[in-house]
Amino acid sequence: MKEKFEVLTNKKWFSSLLWILLLIIAWEVGAFVVANTKRIPENVLPHLYQIIIAGFSTDKVTGDMTATQAVLSSAAQTLLRGFLGFVLGAAIGFVFALVMKMSGVLEKVLFPYLMLIQLIPVLGLAPIVLAITGDINVSRVIIAAILSFYPVATNTLAGFKSVEKEKYDLMFICAAKPHVIYTKVLIPAALPYFFTGLKIAAPMAVTASILVDTLQGDGGLGCLLSQSLKHAMSIYVFWLIVFFSAFVGILVGKVIGWIEYGVSPWKRRA
Amino acid sequence: MSEVRDIEIKTRELGVTFQDNAGRDVTALTGVNLEIYKGEFITLLGPSGCGKTTLLRSIADLQKPTTGDVHIQGMTPKEVRLQQKFGFVFQQPVLFDWRTVKKNVELPMEIMGYSKGERSDRADEMLEMVGLKDFANHYPNQLSGGMQQRANIARAFGLDPDILLMDEPFSALDEFTKEKLHEDLLRIWRATNKTILFVTHNIQEGVFLSDRVCVLSPHPGRLSAIVDIDIERPRTLEVKESSYFNELVTKVRNSFEGGSV
Amino acid sequence: MEYEVKLEKVGRKKSLSQRIKENKTWQKASTIVLPLIFGIVLVGLWQTEVLHSWFHTDTFTLPLINKIGGIMGDISDKILENTIATVEVAFFGLVIGSVLGYLIAMLAALYPKIGSGGLSVIGAFASIPVVAMAPVLNNWTKDVSTDANLRSMVSKIIVVTLICAADMGLNAYRGLTELKPFSEDLMAIYGAPKKITLWKLRIPNSIPYVFTALKVSVPASIMTAIVSEYFAEYITGVGRAIRENIVLAQYSTAWAYIATACLIGVVAYVVLMVLQSILLRRYH
Repeated sequence: MKEKFEVLTNKKWFSSLLWILLLIIAWEVGAFVVANTKRIPENVLPHLYQIIIAGFSTDKVTGDMTATQAVLSSAAQTLLRGFLGFVLGAAIGFVFALVMKMSGVLEKVLFPYLMLIQLIPVLGLAPIVLAITGDINVSRVIIAAILSFYPVATNTLAGFKSVEKEKYDLMFICAAKPHVIYTKVLIPAALPYFFTGLKIAAPMAVTASILVDTLQGDGGLGCLLSQSLKHAMSIYVFWLIVFFSAFVGILVGKVIGWIEYGVSPWKRRA
Repeated sequence: MSEVRDIEIKTRELGVTFQDNAGRDVTALTGVNLEIYKGEFITLLGPSGCGKTTLLRSIADLQKPTTGDVHIQGMTPKEVRLQQKFGFVFQQPVLFDWRTVKKNVELPMEIMGYSKGERSDRADEMLEMVGLKDFANHYPNQLSGGMQQRANIARAFGLDPDILLMDEPFSALDEFTKEKLHEDLLRIWRATNKTILFVTHNIQEGVFLSDRVCVLSPHPGRLSAIVDIDIERPRTLEVKESSYFNELVTKVRNSFEGGSV
Repeated sequence: MEYEVKLEKVGRKKSLSQRIKENKTWQKASTIVLPLIFGIVLVGLWQTEVLHSWFHTDTFTLPLINKIGGIMGDISDKILENTIATVEVAFFGLVIGSVLGYLIAMLAALYPKIGSGGLSVIGAFASIPVVAMAPVLNNWTKDVSTDANLRSMVSKIIVVTLICAADMGLNAYRGLTELKPFSEDLMAIYGAPKKITLWKLRIPNSIPYVFTALKVSVPASIMTAIVSEYFAEYITGVGRAIRENIVLAQYSTAWAYIATACLIGVVAYVVLMVLQSILLRRYH
């Protein structure tokens, strides 16, 4: 029995589970304290089961939707735009890296600006993008695209640069044409780096698209969040959104990891 | 050697000068006159900084000579390279992580436009030759260093190149693996009759493998002696224990200019 | 000949010493000159309102650069006040978070069985959108003080702390555990206790990783500070000023604050680089 337990504790998921349990316990202890000291405890820290019940409740929080329905329908609005921006930004980032690799002059011109954009708090630009475009949906896409663009571009470029001199020499000896070098050497070599960029970009794109929502009351997850906070509807909608967005933020990172795992068989058998 | 043999590679007053970071000229190689016969196994031997790799790279068109020239089968290195007649084995097994061992061997053939079936057949043949048949569908990171270097050699032979250039291919391997690969290399060489240029800093290795050992000396890098290795072939590992082998090793060692290294 | 030129572009720049030799000075100068030309062209397009026609906007929403600069001068005292508010949040959050993250990494390195899972949970925290975290912490810090400014500060700092702790924790853990081969064995042969191994080996080894973490978390701390300002109870900070001014349609002022935000980001990064060059020089 003791040995079995030891085998169990050596598993990585076991200690993750332990920590999640600890967090749940801490949350619940906090919730008990809050429940006994606060006038409206659900504003500060409701019990987890209360949030779960709210998630499955059939009571309407808006005109015709339950809490979960409201969250999911606005999430669809928000995240679809965020996803579009993410894909767009990642694609542009990849092309950018490729162009910079192909042209030494363009690399020199653009590289300092690529570094600079990382230092700028792009989310701070969200309100002005909204002001310029005047359209919440376009703004969501643009901000998510900018945020996804630079991690993908810098990481992919680093991937292209990671190719050793010997590999170029080998291609040179084989008299390989430049396009062959790109398709057979450079792009496959940069792929893991590209995915690293995607993993950084995805949670940022989610954050961005929710944030842009809160700037204008036009529907969407962020907008729902603001309304719930202002008690225009049940506060549990707010808690559901908190958990939902945390879940989505973690999930997108995982999903990209799975995709990477799927397209890189050499990593599986190592 | 009495019979008349075809000269495959010929260098004339070959010299290479680099510029270091401070902008000063550094002579890596100067005045190399060398004739290499067709089907010969020749070793470029010397300590670090003697220009042996530079010489190899000049022949492979990876390095432009500053003075003199290289002729291979009456052509320039570039023409030979564009005809894809070179095979090159690096010190590190330059394998592509994302390709299986077999796909790695097939890569140069893909570039040359071999058909799929032909590629596959030849790759199988090469892997069989280096003893990696059972590992064809493994990925490089699943192989040991010795196996990776075998895959590397299989790839270089896969194209059926006229000239095989090997830049310290075994220097990172342990002694046991190295000896095994020495025997394998000689066997493959005999079977395929390639011209092999082999760079090393290991005297025993050079003497054991070659028909001739070219001794290079540093500061500035130059060809200081050529030692004929007339040990009978096929050679086995026992050769290394013979007194004649050791005599030749001593002869090579003494031919370094400036005494012992 | 044509083939060769193309191949150079792919990546044989270095080995072709001849080319570099001929152009060494130009190579060096061009890394500064070329981006500078691009920057000047960009400013030119902006000032001549070409950018405005591309983006279908006007000088009201996208004011000319000299006007933004003028406003920055006019309201410099207000900008300074908001900058201090933002920088304070980012700085304290960065420091507390980084120290916390490092301590967690240290615990995880010493007790890997329990620690490694803790790190993956912390990694998950980093993926939680700030938008979700900020309002929760606003609620939690309601009782910290009767001063709305102070409790807003605390709440914002905690958000930044969590983000930076995750980043530092993950990187520092790598620095504390990815040691040079055999160095751990060497310590074991000397019979060094865990504590000595930590001080003499693990911590020095982790320093470059700490800077890797900071390179990400310094810009992130500023971005997080700005976003959490949007949700804060007390109205202050550069981020909040951007938003409030846009709501009031004072676009020039908003742009002045955007420029300030960018400046903060760049200055913070430069400070970090200077710190790194001083500290790492001592280390090597």
